[in-house]
Amino acid sequence: MLRMSRAGLADRWTLFVGALLSVALGVALVQSSLLLLITAATFDPPPGLSAAERMEFSDGTTAAVSMLGVVLGGAVFLAGFIISSTFAFTVDQRRRDLALLRLVGGSRGQVRRLLLGEALLLGVAGAGLGVPAGLEVMKLQAWLMRRFEFVPDGFTGQWRMWILGVSLGTGLLLAISGVLVAARRAARVRPLEALRETGAAARVMTAGRWIAGLLFFGGALALVIVAPHGGPAGGQAMALNVAMPASVAVVAFAPLLVPLFARLMPFGGGVLGSLARANLRDARRRSASVAAPLIVLVALVVGNTGAGSSFTTSGIDEVARSTHADFVVEGRGPIADVPGVATVSTELSLPGEVTTGQGEDRETEAVSALVVDPAAYSAIHGTPVRLSGRAVAAGPGGDVPKSGTVRLRLPEGDLGDLPVVASVPATMSGGANLLLPPGLVPEAQLAGAQARSFVALKPGADPAAVRAALARSGPVSSLDDWLRADADARNSTNEKIMLIVLGLGGLYALLGVVNSAVIGAATRRREFAEARVTGLTRGQVVRVALLETFAVTGAALLLGVVAASAALIAALATTSAVTGAATLDLSWPLIAGVAAVALTVTGLTSLITSWSATRRPPVTLLAAQE
Amino acid sequence: MTTLTMTGVSRVFGRGPAAVHAVDDVTLTFPRGGWTAVMGPSGSGKSTLLHCAAGLERVDTGRVLLGDTDITAAGDADLTALRRSRIGFVFQNFNLIGALSAEQNVALPLRLAGRRPSRRVVRATLDAVGLADRARHRPRELSGGQQQRVAIARAMVTRPEVLFADEPTGALDSTAARTVLDLMRAMADAGQSIVMVTHDPGAAARADAVVFLRDGRVVDRVAGADARQVADRLASWER
Ligand SMILES: Nc1ncnc2c1ncn2[C@@H]1O[C@H](COP(=O)(O)OP(=O)(O)OP(=O)(O)O)[C@@H](O)[C@H]1O
Ligand SMILES: [Mg+2]
Repeated sequence: MLRMSRAGLADRWTLFVGALLSVALGVALVQSSLLLLITAATFDPPPGLSAAERMEFSDGTTAAVSMLGVVLGGAVFLAGFIISSTFAFTVDQRRRDLALLRLVGGSRGQVRRLLLGEALLLGVAGAGLGVPAGLEVMKLQAWLMRRFEFVPDGFTGQWRMWILGVSLGTGLLLAISGVLVAARRAARVRPLEALRETGAAARVMTAGRWIAGLLFFGGALALVIVAPHGGPAGGQAMALNVAMPASVAVVAFAPLLVPLFARLMPFGGGVLGSLARANLRDARRRSASVAAPLIVLVALVVGNTGAGSSFTTSGIDEVARSTHADFVVEGRGPIADVPGVATVSTELSLPGEVTTGQGEDRETEAVSALVVDPAAYSAIHGTPVRLSGRAVAAGPGGDVPKSGTVRLRLPEGDLGDLPVVASVPATMSGGANLLLPPGLVPEAQLAGAQARSFVALKPGADPAAVRAALARSGPVSSLDDWLRADADARNSTNEKIMLIVLGLGGLYALLGVVNSAVIGAATRRREFAEARVTGLTRGQVVRVALLETFAVTGAALLLGVVAASAALIAALATTSAVTGAATLDLSWPLIAGVAAVALTVTGLTSLITSWSATRRPPVTLLAAQE
Repeated sequence: MTTLTMTGVSRVFGRGPAAVHAVDDVTLTFPRGGWTAVMGPSGSGKSTLLHCAAGLERVDTGRVLLGDTDITAAGDADLTALRRSRIGFVFQNFNLIGALSAEQNVALPLRLAGRRPSRRVVRATLDAVGLADRARHRPRELSGGQQQRVAIARAMVTRPEVLFADEPTGALDSTAARTVLDLMRAMADAGQSIVMVTHDPGAAARADAVVFLRDGRVVDRVAGADARQVADRLASWER
């Protein structure tokens, strides 16, 4: 059987190059994300840091680790999806070969073993290519993370010997699990299908597709429903995980949906348009397979960037709405004494570590603590806080229990157990995890704290004069300028995160798109030849194929947006629940860019493949009856 | 002595008013060691009949016996075993596996059956169809007639009880067709049972008997007719 696997691989190489590439790059992506994650999780602060710097460092690595966790999860999802859909497609395209095998005495088990044997070879070969490719991917990812300052300068991914075993296992696991469903399906191919000229009218919607579709639809729906109740952090996490199950659900129903949506595309009139339309109607599974990776790509990119920027915008709007001040001073001093100043909330930010729970449940987390004047903080941020003595409050950044006691360690001293007596609502924009009353932290420890003062003026005060006086305490900006700078910083951080999380995954999915377009065209030689002997010129055949490609791409774009909209609905519901204002912020240039790239890539692929598939004169193709 | 018996076999495609009775209550016996041709107008159910007889197509009513084995309700594993050892197929479009050489194509059924094909047996089978010198060629390097002869060798290598052939000469020119028919005639003379569907009265005349189908029913059966008589009979039924 293995020898037949090898013969099969050698002969259908166009189909298998794509499958091999998808395994290799999937392994590379997973390996790189995993190594970076481990590196970040075990990253020790460089020697010679102060206690405060060490705490900030550990807060930073915590963020990097969770970001890399998302990257790893996305890589595993994409690799699993792209590989299994590529395999399913290649198997689908070989139905006639497999039926022929059955006709001359092959059993179902033999067909299954043949496909599993191929997957085994592809898994091993894919891992062999994927390990070195993964090292290059890791360099790129680490460079991006350093460049965007998510990790310090010295950070580079570290090689672990055991990753060889893990990557080989990943390759095998991805390839074998990718082919299992397809192999089961292929084993049910009837021998008679070998005799039908055009691929059998295989059922397009199998029971498996219905079950998977409904299951993932249910998963996506559950996330959309629960997200608004998850608070800012939980809600965001859930909304950013909606696009995956939603896109899988749409892909499961693709054999029904793609032809439906493709019919809406403008084909132009004439015989070529109607031929393209008929081809699409006839080859529903092929259309669905070609569309699948594109649907996932669009859903992830549009859904997650849309949800991400909606959350960012919602946070920005929330800060703007809830901050009642005229000036922001980056510093502190005798600001309250400046004539014309009504209220000043001076806030001192310190890194710290909070320990909660007892015994087994004990947990220590890096936090940021904010020393505030409760009355002024309440007035400036529009939320009541009452604090005194050793009592502290859970801050807008969440993550800390809203009652009970927490143990707080600051860089230069342990403050011991503190009762949490109050909390301010967690906000979309985040912020400090813990609010501390004045006097709790010894003044000496506050020397290194970062200070910011929000200043509200008395009615009738002269802003220019006040501003001049404030400048003695630190750089002053008007609230509007400060908000704008804050918004820019938040947007830029969001964009960087999206680029790291989606960038390489998006490229990988794009490879899947090219792959499926090539596979879809690879087996159409005969069909093209028949069209040509019927009287179509080579140019007309290529044009019909291009029309079909554009219709399928258009349908996939629309369906991707449908799946993405589930994530956007979750974002709307969550922002509404957290801030009271439902927010949606879509980047139209990005969406247009994705559409343009998709149409260009699939269009070019179609042109190249159909042009080369029609290179030989049609008679030579029709004569070779294999 | 019969090798294949069909009793009251029907096969209906579709439902309701669109239903097509492709094979309609057919009762037929095929003698052991005889070559039977099946003729009839296009769409008369010839291929469907052949598929039912070979266990490739489920029958709606009736029974199909291969020797003493009732294959009507046989499961997939039994049918697979049957294809490996007791029946062989040849089709209009040759249906060779393009990745494998002629020799490998011929050896394939034996390998699928878990037998280690001896090179001698494979070569002898290819030699019997006159292609010993093409053993290492791929199908695309062979002419249509040669491809069909490889397909016959592949079907014969397991020494099947019945060889089923659906338009084996349909895609061949007259010279290549004659070579294939000569080959089949020699096989039948050596005791091979053959059931062959054909359009060509000349091909049918090479068989021992001809069965005529129309609208899924057997309408006539003649033995020992020449090409002209077969053509006349066919024309009378097509009218
Ligand atoms: N899978 C199928 N589904 C539906 N109808 C079918 C199917 N296979 C055959 N038929 C119908 O059954 C009838 C008999 O078909 P069959 O292929 O047996 O004819 P035939 O005699 O072999 O014709 P030809 O000489 O043209 O090959 C036809 O009307 C055909 O449309
Ligand atoms: Mg037929």
